Amino acid sequence: MRYRFVLPIMATLLVGCDGLPRDAAGTTERIERTHAMRVTVLPGTPDARPALAMLDAYARNHGARVTLVPIHGEHAHKALEDGKIDVLIGHFAKASPWQADIALSKPVARGEPDDKARPVLRIARRNGENELILATDRLVAERAR
Amino acid sequence: MSLHSGIPATIEADVRHGERLEWWTLLWIGSVVVVMALVMGASQAMKSAVIEDLLSLIPAIVFLLSVHWERKQANGRFPFGYRRANSLAFLVAATALLSVGGFLVYESVTTLVRQEHPTVGGITLFGHTIWLGWLMMAALVYSVIPPLVLGRIKQPVARRISDKVLHTDALMQKADWQTGLAAIAGITGIGLGWWWADATAASFIALSIIKDAIGALQQAVAELLDGTPRALDSNGIADDAKALIAALKARFGDVEVRLRETGRYIAAEIDCAPPAAVPTGTELLGDKAWRLASLSFRPE
Repeated sequence: MRYRFVLPIMATLLVGCDGLPRDAAGTTERIERTHAMRVTVLPGTPDARPALAMLDAYARNHGARVTLVPIHGEHAHKALEDGKIDVLIGHFAKASPWQADIALSKPVARGEPDDKARPVLRIARRNGENELILATDRLVAERAR
Repeated sequence: MSLHSGIPATIEADVRHGERLEWWTLLWIGSVVVVMALVMGASQAMKSAVIEDLLSLIPAIVFLLSVHWERKQANGRFPFGYRRANSLAFLVAATALLSVGGFLVYESVTTLVRQEHPTVGGITLFGHTIWLGWLMMAALVYSVIPPLVLGRIKQPVARRISDKVLHTDALMQKADWQTGLAAIAGITGIGLGWWWADATAASFIALSIIKDAIGALQQAVAELLDGTPRALDSNGIADDAKALIAALKARFGDVEVRLRETGRYIAAEIDCAPPAAVPTGTELLGDKAWRLASLSFRPE
C-alpha cells in the first residue's frame, strides 16, 4: 500500500476544516489587521453603488473601512492579480476574457443575462482568496433575494 | 470456437463476467463524470478530474470492442481470426493510461510553476450559499467508490482469462480512486489556503500512474513484436509460458522453443521433427490448456 500517507494527510487536513475556506494570500486577515479594504471601481461603472454598499457592509463587519484606490482601468486587473487591491468593481461578461485570471461574482442587483457576452455589474476578487470570495458571494446572493 | 476464432468454453463465463464489469464501469464512471461536471464550477482541478475520468473510460471501451472482435470467425481476409485485436486494445489501453498520467503531470507542473491560486467560491442551493468545495468533496467521495470496488473485482477475472486489457483497466481504476483521494486532499488544502496542495498531491499520484503505464506499454509492445508472453502485472515472462517451455523441453529434449502471444493465446514453435503423438494442451498446461492456441514443429 504505497498510498498509506493519503489517509493521515486527509485526517490532519480535516482536523483543520473548521472555518473553511481560508484565503491563499490572507486578504481577509489583512483587511482585519489594517482596518482597510482596498477597492477600485473601473471607469464606466455608473451603477457601482449597490456593490460598494455591499462591500462597505462587509468591511464594517470585519472592523474595516472601504478605501477607494484610483487605478487606471488598463492596470486595474493586474493590480488585483498582484494583490495591490482587494476587490475590483466593474462591468464584466459571464464569458469574460478575464474569467480565468480573476474570480468574478454573479451579477450584482440583477439576474444573469441570457447573453453570456453582455457585461453587467460584478465584483471581481483575486483568485485563491476563497474566504473573501465565499463571503462576497453570500452577500451577492442575499442581495439577489 | 474454431482454430483461430472464438472464446474457449473454459473461460467463456469469465469473459462474460469481464464484459458485464466493463458495462458497469461505463455506467458508473459515466455517472461520476456527470456529477463532477455539475459541481466543477471554475475549478481547474475538478476540470482535470473530469477529463481524467473521461480518458479512463477508454480501456473499458476497447476491452468490449476487442472481445466482440475475438468472437468473430476467421475468414479469407483474416485467416488467423481477430484475436490480435486484444493485443491492439492493450496498446490503446496502456496509451490511455499514459495519457492520463501525462495530462495530470502537465496540469500539476503548470499550476505550480505559474503559482496559480485555485478559486473555489460559493454556490447557492435552496436559498443558502455554501462553499462549493464541500460539494466537490462529496462528488469526489462518490467518484472514488465505483473504481475502488470495480477495480478490485476485475483483477482476479483478468488473471483467470489472462487479459491484459482488463488488467490495465483495473490499473486505470486504481488511478481513478487514487486521484479522487488526492483531489479531496487538494480541495481541503485549497480550503486551508494552501494553493499548492492540489497540484502537489496530483503530481505524486501522476508519477505512479506513469510508472504503471510505462510498464503496460512495454508489455504491449513486446506482445506486438511477438515477444515471449509476459506476465499480467510485469514485463517478466509469464509463469504459464515458463511452465510451457519447461514441459516442451522435458518432452522433446534440449531443443529451441519459441513462444509468442496473440491476445490471450500462446503459439509455440519447436525446432524438432513432429512427434508420432502430439501432446495435448492439458498435458502441457493443465488448467490453462486453453491458452495454447497452436503448436508447430520445425524439422531441421
